[in-house]
Amino acid sequence: MTLVETPLMHTLSRALDLTSVRQGLVSQNVANIDTPGYKARDIDYRQELQRAMADDESLQPAPVAREVPGLVERPDGNNVSLDRESLLMAQNQLAFQVDVQLLRAEFNRLQQAINGGNGQ
Amino acid sequence: MNLFGLFQISGSALTAERVRAEVATSNLANSETTRTPEGGPYRRRMVVFNSRPASSFRLLLAGSLNNGSLQEAGGVRVSQVVDDPTPALRRYEPGHPDADASGYVDYPAISPVQEMVDLMGAQRAYELNASAVQAAKQMIQQSLQILK
Repeated sequence: MTLVETPLMHTLSRALDLTSVRQGLVSQNVANIDTPGYKARDIDYRQELQRAMADDESLQPAPVAREVPGLVERPDGNNVSLDRESLLMAQNQLAFQVDVQLLRAEFNRLQQAINGGNGQ
Repeated sequence: MNLFGLFQISGSALTAERVRAEVATSNLANSETTRTPEGGPYRRRMVVFNSRPASSFRLLLAGSLNNGSLQEAGGVRVSQVVDDPTPALRRYEPGHPDADASGYVDYPAISPVQEMVDLMGAQRAYELNASAVQAAKQMIQQSLQILK
């Protein structure tokens, strides 16, 4: 952590990273909706965020994507669920938006502190 | 994974679905074609989709650190376009220029209903991937907001 990076910023940047990784997996699942034998994959968001918070900066392991359990498989061996992926896509987008807004607010607070509380 | 990588994933699916729609359209257009450069009637074609693993150096390195398995998102590609092995439909039309000695003509074994369903499937999948592109675009625009 540096002088201007607050703990909240640290958490939020990790959360943003994970959200974009997750969006990548959702895109991949959607892209392979017609690929025979393809299995939907996802990350365990909560677990990955805890891991990212616990580890130190220097060695960040890549998030682990696993096959999603409990999905119904089509006769061609593909188990991508359209509803699940669309919902996750919308949810991810909103989560990203929330994180960005929180990050902006935190920067604004920092700016305010620098200015000694005299507005912007 | 950076956000711009999402475009490549969804873009690969857009390309693949368009190829699928093109093949279905070509099948429909040639449902009565009895002459081809290869000889014989037109043969129905089908696309084969394959998931594509990610291949950048960073991802491969990350993959080898994670017990040797690749963990990152890739896209999809059309690995090949294959001919349908279904034999040609034989119709009795003695007056047809391509009729054989017994008066039968070989027509491609194409069902318009099947092709239309395939076309609709490709269209819906294209739409879905286009909305994934929209989502990625919005996320990138959002992250620009941090700068303001």
